[in-house]
Amino acid sequence: MMNEITQMLVDSAARMFADGSTKAVLDDVELGVYPQALHDMVVENGFDRIGIAAEGFATTDVFELLKSAGRFAVGVPLAEMVLAARWVGESGDFVSIGVVEGARVAQVPWGRRADRVLALVDGAARIGHVCHVTTGTNIAGEPRDTVTLEAVEEIAVDEGPFEMLALSRVALMAGCLERVLDLGLTYAGEREQFGRPISKFQAIQHALAVVAAEVAAAKRAADAAIDALGGERFAQEVAAAKARVGEAVGIVAEAVHQVHGAMGFTHEHELHHFTRRLWAWRDEYGNEVFWQRRLGGHLAKLGADHVWDFVATQS
Amino acid sequence: MLLHFDRVSLPDTAQNLRAEVRTFLTRHADHLLRPNSDFSSGHDPAFSELLGSRGWVGMTWPKEYGGAERTFFERYVVTEELLAAGAPVSAHWIADRQSGPLLLRYGSAQQCARFLPDIAAGRSFFSIGMSEPNTGSDLASVRTSARRTDGGWLVNGTKLWSTDAHRNHYMVALVRTEPPSENRHAGLSQFIVELSADGVEVRPIRNMSGGEDFNEVVFTDAFVADDQVVGEPGNGWEQVTSELGYERSGPERFLSAFRVFVEFVRLIGDDPAPHEAAAIGRIASHLMTLRRMSVSVAGMLEEGKSPAVEAALVKELGNNFEKALPEIARLAAPGGLSPGSFREAFTDTLLLSPSFTLRGGTREILRGVIARGLGLR
Repeated sequence: MMNEITQMLVDSAARMFADGSTKAVLDDVELGVYPQALHDMVVENGFDRIGIAAEGFATTDVFELLKSAGRFAVGVPLAEMVLAARWVGESGDFVSIGVVEGARVAQVPWGRRADRVLALVDGAARIGHVCHVTTGTNIAGEPRDTVTLEAVEEIAVDEGPFEMLALSRVALMAGCLERVLDLGLTYAGEREQFGRPISKFQAIQHALAVVAAEVAAAKRAADAAIDALGGERFAQEVAAAKARVGEAVGIVAEAVHQVHGAMGFTHEHELHHFTRRLWAWRDEYGNEVFWQRRLGGHLAKLGADHVWDFVATQS
Repeated sequence: MLLHFDRVSLPDTAQNLRAEVRTFLTRHADHLLRPNSDFSSGHDPAFSELLGSRGWVGMTWPKEYGGAERTFFERYVVTEELLAAGAPVSAHWIADRQSGPLLLRYGSAQQCARFLPDIAAGRSFFSIGMSEPNTGSDLASVRTSARRTDGGWLVNGTKLWSTDAHRNHYMVALVRTEPPSENRHAGLSQFIVELSADGVEVRPIRNMSGGEDFNEVVFTDAFVADDQVVGEPGNGWEQVTSELGYERSGPERFLSAFRVFVEFVRLIGDDPAPHEAAAIGRIASHLMTLRRMSVSVAGMLEEGKSPAVEAALVKELGNNFEKALPEIARLAAPGGLSPGSFREAFTDTLLLSPSFTLRGGTREILRGVIARGLGLR
């Protein structure tokens, strides 16, 4: 159950995102236009600072906020803004986050606009000023740049930064999956063929029942990983969630596109903004197999006779 | 919010009970003979009575009827520990899970006093009497009928797929007490039929795995006294629907293949190849999630809700998982199906697996229930 503060935070974020993350804004983001108005609203209302301990929010609130962001496919790199502020402190400049790849840092959301980038490497982090940028995008058209850093220094992050970023994608996907289910239900109720809404056809009902089951599972898995924050099972719970939610993404996106027919295949329809983000986020910070291997390796070490205990003593 | 599964954690009392159950299972390990964790495997009256003596049958029921007045969370822990260990729970399973709760909700005080204490003691076993030769998913089409006689009813007709009817004491049978009318759901009633009574013939049916667990039960003027009618005559449809809610929500809907997982992990050992680790992790990620969803449903039951749609959703996901698990393991198993405990568990489970998405409501029926919950019908 969400407490009142969290509920207020999520509700006001949802209102802000609904206003600031319209279809027009999403289209612009894909053309490389930064959603500055939404960014300003996020900063003015202090949403980028909720991960800073002194602000009085629970760490879990960060991820409740990201679920809401996923629901609206928000174009600002909110996960990076919040987690960078948490680890670097309030700095006034724009800090994004990426993963070290050789001499460079890859997968940096809006690296082209970042003053500094926090770079993850082997469970640790370092930070530096951006001196060179190669722009790129993910499959959803979200900027994912490769940057070179200078004046790099180590920075202590003691809560598993890679797992935290993976969990950010879990939360974004959980919210986005729920939105895609809603889109499917709405469309099936509105679209008429053979003289009745297609939602009255058993084939469509069963397809959406499967979608609802996957979305419910994804949400429960995401909540479990969020609840494990700060606990000794955090790494395993994130692994289970990223793997499980990633599997749900493939099933849900495929089925809801099918329900939408050719309409959902057009650029004009909003569905693809959400499904393409799902397809992108499941591969960021470790895909399903990456995390399955981590979780499976952990269980293999525990041994066959302790597998049940691991499953049953979860929260 | 659509189909939300609350973040529910088991209370400490339930977790403490877990250790007790495990100690008990270790002490009675001689009963744990089955290589799989399926709830329909292993009919062991002595084991059921042992459980009853520990207060682990009918555990949420009132003490006046032999129950222990414990929470649904505590019942959840006991059932999942029994299933994970492969305990032979089949004898008392139906009576504990749905016949007893049915009587508590719709039965008379006399019926509760007469039947529940023996069930809770692990000595009285019930079977389900819903399906018929021409009635499967379309349950309202049952033809088994009852006509009035002195002091009760005479039942004629045939019930099918009644698990353990050849060794259990009673069946709760859904019968037609009025001729069919335009309202298909009207005129149905639930009777407690004694399976050893005159006019009741039980014929075991061999399943494809070679087991003889389910049966055809033929009634020929079988007498059922008035005091064995559950609830009001004619209210059978509402009652049987509520019974199905209990039938669909528990850990038995995703643990049927669990032993395959355990033996798979054992086969692989502590230094897995990448694809082996991935297979273990994939199975675990589903299992962990399903279990949490099932605990959420236990929380809804504890709050007195009727989570019919959520239960259908857990069963839909859980049954698919039970079928996928052996396949994921098979394809990643080093050495394939060479003789050993993995192969034994795999074979046993695979041969039962077609039933997973049939019993307790087919996949097709469940998806219909979910669709209704989504407002699509």
